Amino acid sequence: MATNSTNNFYDLYRHGSLGMTLTDALDDLIGAERIDPQLAMKVLTQFDRIVAEALAEKVKSRLTFKGSLDTYRFCDEVWTFLIKNVTFKMDNGSHTVQADKVKIVSCSAKRTDDK
Amino acid sequence: MSNANVGGVYDHIIQEVINAVRVDFEENGVDDGVLEELKKGWQHKLSQLNVAQFPWDPKPEPTPAAPPLASANVPQPAAAAAAAPAPPAASTYTQSTLSPPTHGQPLSLPAGRNQNSNGVKSDPRIVKNEPVIKQEPGLNGGPAPALHPGYSAASAPPRPGMAAQRAALALESQYGERAAASISAIHSGMAMELNQGGQQQPQQIQQQHPQQQQQQHLQQHLQQQHHVQQQQQHVQHQQHPQQHPQQQQFQQGPRPGQVPQQMTQQQYRQGIASQQQLQAQQRLQAQQAQAQQAQAQQQLRPPNGLPAAQVDGAGDAYDGVLMWRGADGRPVEMGRVEIDNLLHAQMAARAKQMEGGGLMLPLKQATKVRSVASKKRSAGGAQMDGGDDDLKEEELDNDAINSDLDDSEDPNDDDEDDDESMGHMMLCMYDKVQRVKNKWKCTLKDGVLTVNGREYVFHKATGEYEW
Repeated sequence: MATNSTNNFYDLYRHGSLGMTLTDALDDLIGAERIDPQLAMKVLTQFDRIVAEALAEKVKSRLTFKGSLDTYRFCDEVWTFLIKNVTFKMDNGSHTVQADKVKIVSCSAKRTDDK
Repeated sequence: MSNANVGGVYDHIIQEVINAVRVDFEENGVDDGVLEELKKGWQHKLSQLNVAQFPWDPKPEPTPAAPPLASANVPQPAAAAAAAPAPPAASTYTQSTLSPPTHGQPLSLPAGRNQNSNGVKSDPRIVKNEPVIKQEPGLNGGPAPALHPGYSAASAPPRPGMAAQRAALALESQYGERAAASISAIHSGMAMELNQGGQQQPQQIQQQHPQQQQQQHLQQHLQQQHHVQQQQQHVQHQQHPQQHPQQQQFQQGPRPGQVPQQMTQQQYRQGIASQQQLQAQQRLQAQQAQAQQAQAQQQLRPPNGLPAAQVDGAGDAYDGVLMWRGADGRPVEMGRVEIDNLLHAQMAARAKQMEGGGLMLPLKQATKVRSVASKKRSAGGAQMDGGDDDLKEEELDNDAINSDLDDSEDPNDDDEDDDESMGHMMLCMYDKVQRVKNKWKCTLKDGVLTVNGREYVFHKATGEYEW
């Protein structure tokens, strides 16, 4: 599923901009035969762990959002929502962001601890 | 503001990852430089995404990385709007260096003062050097409003004749009227180039020369053989009308009637060549056998007039045909058309014969027969396979029946693709997801949100939405 076999952290964040750019950079190095694919995988697993830790420890901001739910899906302990006409409010509503639609992919927070 | 945190958090993550992986790199015997390269590449790609302002400096180490983090946390609307990653030395400095390329400041030569008035507090010399260098690309690579008239479109995609036009301009400006001849030559060359849009033009350019040579050869040949000047005049008579229209085509581009005419000529010539053999033609036909078909057409062209004589029959017919044509002038075409009609009739008759044999059916009938046959086959095949296929189809149908989501499934897939490409996405963990009727409430944490090209990170998020 979303967890990596070698550790307890989700590889979910690989699909964010940070993970995608890391994957790209690794691909470039692999393509140039500077590093092994295995080494790249190790980098990514480290990335999984560090992102999760950093988000948990470094980030304090809060966020609320409202919208109309278009699609919901719950499969393999992963929630996927497609929400339309979303309004995000950051930091107690001091800053708002509007979007037509947002896809939310969310893994269980507990499972990291369980497994 | 969550967005301001992003740069710092990401920088922290990158640092951590690079540090954590260093051991692995060493164990694999990979040079430390590669690791550094990975970091640079990563940061560069992230900067290109432009999802937030990132504070990385050329060599971010944990301790110097701290001040930029602090400065990044302070809201800076102008700096945040700037595209490139900012050097972390001082925030005011980054603003001033970033703004020239992005906004294209008014280009005034006293750049040093201009920059100083922007509020750079550091040593004017250092600042002076930087902006001057930065501004020059703005001068040259920017709008560059037609400083060199001939050169202004240099960056535009190359068009045919562009270079020639420029050359002509340059010649004119340099030499004035003295260069008129060469300019006109260039222009005519351009016209040729432009006319080459039609497919036939290059062919004709190539073919005309051999043809002309051929005509001269033929003239000499005839002269030697028959020693009749009158005849040669007739030959020239014929050749001129042929030559002129061809040259016109050559300059004007393909004309609508051209292809059919060539076709008829070809058919005519082929028919003639196969039916009759004349002494004057033997030489040409030997060449025809060697040459390719296209060339053979052109080689045959000169005697075009001659074969028309052969309609009358015998080998002595040169004079008669030529005379006939010379008298009427135009009727050349008439004779060809007649022969062409005759050939066409023959071909049609043969085609009918084959059709009668069933080889050539009209398209509709043929397809009907085939489709019927395939239907029969497929029906039989399905029965042979048994019910499995049908069952599967039914299962699929059953799936489709009971869900409202199925209608939008395909569009949803598209949406998802769009979302990922557009970056409207939130990746996070969920603590709770609750639903009461159509009202949903969820508590999320540790998330990354990408919306409208900006990235946000949050520790906790609560969402309420209705389905």
